[in-house]
Amino acid sequence: MVEPKTPKTPTQQKPAQRKPSADTFLPLSRVRTIMKSSMDTGLITNEVLFLMTKCTELFVQHLAHEAHALTAKQKTGTGTSDTVKYEHLSQLVNRNKNLEFLLQIVPEKIRVHEFQEMLRMNRSGVSDDDDESGSGSDSDE
Amino acid sequence: MVERIEDLNLPNAVISRLIKDALPDGANVSKEGRAAITRSASVFAIFLTSSATALAHQQNHKTITARDILETLTQLDFESFVPSLQQDLEVYRQMVKNKKESKASKKEANADISSGPAVAEVPSE
Repeated sequence: MVEPKTPKTPTQQKPAQRKPSADTFLPLSRVRTIMKSSMDTGLITNEVLFLMTKCTELFVQHLAHEAHALTAKQKTGTGTSDTVKYEHLSQLVNRNKNLEFLLQIVPEKIRVHEFQEMLRMNRSGVSDDDDESGSGSDSDE
Repeated sequence: MVERIEDLNLPNAVISRLIKDALPDGANVSKEGRAAITRSASVFAIFLTSSATALAHQQNHKTITARDILETLTQLDFESFVPSLQQDLEVYRQMVKNKKESKASKKEANADISSGPAVAEVPSE
């Protein structure tokens, strides 16, 4: 059992109960191309393609829904618009364990000087880490 | 194979529509946010495919099945998708079955022309 780090909000429930249907919105051919780009074995059955397309659609709506929930929570009353911004998405990705695979796809934006600071820290940090891992990797007999 | 990276993008218009359906009226997504969602969707599909492929290989299967995908979803902590997908899959399978049957009956009807043209829905592809 994997418990998400952030407590589940009541907004977690699915948006607008949808009807099951055999129709897809996304183009199957495009989804096939995407799947092919990662698969080492070629064959994709129609059923799998259909399921994958549906899945991707659900995922899009899931992301949008969750990001919107976050937007609504952060709205500070004073007439802020009901718009989901990039920042909300990157926050969402940062907070939810099952979105971890998107960390590098939707990274949190940082300022240039913060980035430069990070680079500097890293450069001085790397040598330290190397020393540590060198002494720490002693195998016991 | 993929020639250009754009080939991996999902169509903007469809994504916009899906997003709109998922949000309450009046809510919006910024352009940048939409682009991030579109990208994420492609990566999700790739991620799920390769995870499902790994699962299939573990069980010595060469091709992934619908079950592999549903199982993988649970493993990846997206089990909330599974019930609706299962329903969709059922409808889809029924549709395929109906199509097959109507095709078969059409063939039969064509074999003995006396029964006249079979009324069958036009396949939508």
